[in-house]
Amino acid sequence: MIELIRQVEDLFNQHLTPGYTFDTRINKWNVATAWVRLSSSEQLLPAATSIKQVGGRLHTISAYQRVEGKPSEIHEIAYHFDLDGATLTITVLLADGQRDIPSLTPVFHNADWNEREFMELYDINAVGHPNPTRLFIDENIDAAVLQKFIPFSDMVNAASTKSLWEKIMQQRGEKQ
Amino acid sequence: MTRYQMPVGPLHVALEEPMYFKLDLEGETIKGLHISAGHVHRGMEYLVMKRNFYQNITLTERICSLCSNSHPTTFCMALEEIGGIAVPPRGHYLRVIADEIKRVASNLFNVGIMAHIIGFTSLFMHVLETREIVQDIKETLYGNRMDLGANCIGGVKYNLNAESIAYLIKRLNEIAPAVEEIHRIYSTHSSILTRTRGVGVLPNAIALEYGLIGPVARASGVEYDVRAKTPYAIYPELDFATMTRPDGDVWSRAMVRLDEVKVAIDLIRQCLAQLPEGPVAVPGLPTIPAGEAVAKTEAPRGELIYYLRTNGSDMPERLKWRVPSYPNWDALPVMMQDNTVADVALIVNSIDPCISCTER
Amino acid sequence: MNFLKVLFRNLRQGPSTDPFPFGETFTPEALRGRIAFDASRCSVCRMCEHVCAGGAIRFEETPQGVEFILWHNTCTFCGLCEHYCVPKAIHLTNDWHLAHKQEDKYRMIEEGTMYFKSCVACSSAFLPPSDALLDKVYPTPAAIDPAMSELCPDCRRARAAAQQTTPGMAQIHEPGLTLRPLRLNHNEKRHD
Repeated sequence: MIELIRQVEDLFNQHLTPGYTFDTRINKWNVATAWVRLSSSEQLLPAATSIKQVGGRLHTISAYQRVEGKPSEIHEIAYHFDLDGATLTITVLLADGQRDIPSLTPVFHNADWNEREFMELYDINAVGHPNPTRLFIDENIDAAVLQKFIPFSDMVNAASTKSLWEKIMQQRGEKQ
Repeated sequence: MTRYQMPVGPLHVALEEPMYFKLDLEGETIKGLHISAGHVHRGMEYLVMKRNFYQNITLTERICSLCSNSHPTTFCMALEEIGGIAVPPRGHYLRVIADEIKRVASNLFNVGIMAHIIGFTSLFMHVLETREIVQDIKETLYGNRMDLGANCIGGVKYNLNAESIAYLIKRLNEIAPAVEEIHRIYSTHSSILTRTRGVGVLPNAIALEYGLIGPVARASGVEYDVRAKTPYAIYPELDFATMTRPDGDVWSRAMVRLDEVKVAIDLIRQCLAQLPEGPVAVPGLPTIPAGEAVAKTEAPRGELIYYLRTNGSDMPERLKWRVPSYPNWDALPVMMQDNTVADVALIVNSIDPCISCTER
Repeated sequence: MNFLKVLFRNLRQGPSTDPFPFGETFTPEALRGRIAFDASRCSVCRMCEHVCAGGAIRFEETPQGVEFILWHNTCTFCGLCEHYCVPKAIHLTNDWHLAHKQEDKYRMIEEGTMYFKSCVACSSAFLPPSDALLDKVYPTPAAIDPAMSELCPDCRRARAAAQQTTPGMAQIHEPGLTLRPLRLNHNEKRHD
């Protein structure tokens, strides 16, 4: 497990422009997780190709905005890869206002659905995606769904409402 | 031969959950498939960011009811890794017992539905009758037939005493021979073999290329089981083998699931034999500092991965989970190629889809 | 394999469905059903409210005390409230008879009131710790300071400070209070 991580680190040293960090953690079950932060989105495809070379597999892609809850122009995308049991996470920080990132579909076929998902949730564009259509959300809803204030849910903090409790309190006296 | 498109779903008698397929057909042979998803999208990734960690244990359990114990287990594992919390050994054993009981129930359900889809209703009833024993076990030990409510941060919140262990062993002794018999029926009965052998074939190369996991990949010869590759809880101390089959058709997937039911029953027995005394959870309330972690477990449908980022408060900054059914959908066009319309429901069921997991 | 053998065996054994309500069925003891709340054990820590994913629990402050209201129709019966309740005031029974008419839906509640006590020193209203909580936290009944149930936190603080700063003072006399020598607990854990 740790062998593969070392191999990937070597490949990164060879093919990537410097300016990235690479940390490895090992937990008490001897399971290794590696955490890489890339300084620019151009390093993404060379990094992915190196991982594919050693037989890695893409797990999933997590996109998120840096300031939770408010519309933000700064995003980070975390790509999680499997190296025969070890998990390697590459986090790419997008610059303020940057919405384009190269698509991983040429290297990893299963990036397809993952990229369609973050395209609709966060309005980030995966350049070169073969089928950039909506995955789960209807076309009529504007993109960047997680950023927009969905009025009802936000008003009640996605939980039971005040008016609901008023009804309950009102009828308490009538309980048999 | 005419070419035309036919919709299947979103509400269909043979599909458990809504999913909209548009099939490209030539006569009765499938030549292409388009999937239109989103009917069960509940926006759970948004909801979990609005709740604190304790509430999220309950919320993650309700992502799916068949894999319902794997979700809070993996979520708690990610929290425990960030917080540096060590779950006591008995807690780990109890988590494994809960997971394996869920696996038995989920896999029996899937092979039963397969019998239902091919029209073998009496076998379907028989398998589900065996599964009812597992449902009774869940209700007696945990208090609910589906949502076990077993996990808390730092361990489990249920315990097994001598009486419940005796009950569990008694019922396992009822299930084990029944599962053996079901395994024999599925291996040899001509109705099942004719309908499922050679149907929905997924070659090994495609399984690797598309990054598939779980029983679907293992039925195509990919030997990847999270319990062996990325051990967690007390799996390193248990003795089990990864079950694979070489052919990659619907029958192989059902057989892998039945093989895993037998392995799961054996694992539960091993756990009960080795169960140590001690606390079941870390006492008190945990402090979770800022950080990020990735946790993986083997849910009944395959590898479940959770990615958690915390910022020191008691609500997660970002919680993302990728369920095992997610990559499996993409393999459907390959599996359906050159099969007939009648096999659509059968192939879809063979990947054991969990649409509520996929779409959250 | 001949499935007919299995089929005939199943026919002989009869249906495995329990003929409820025309016959017996079993209810497991551990079933997570209707919530029972014991107000005499509650100390209003509100942890149950904090962990409730469905937002089913609500505490209301009134002039007499604090009221606990739980609405079953948004409760998910997960059992986290019971797990985190230290004095075990909230409990999930195995009562599953919760079916009700649509018009009664707002009345499916469980409630209780924790009454304020009046401080014997300053007469302000405060919530005393429940007996169940004190029993859980203190090893013996003799270890429990009776002042905790009689004095409000401000007066207890003042009393403890006075005892520490007044040299040679072993005990403080106060009307209506049973006296015992006060121990300073140096090993007391800091509260976060």
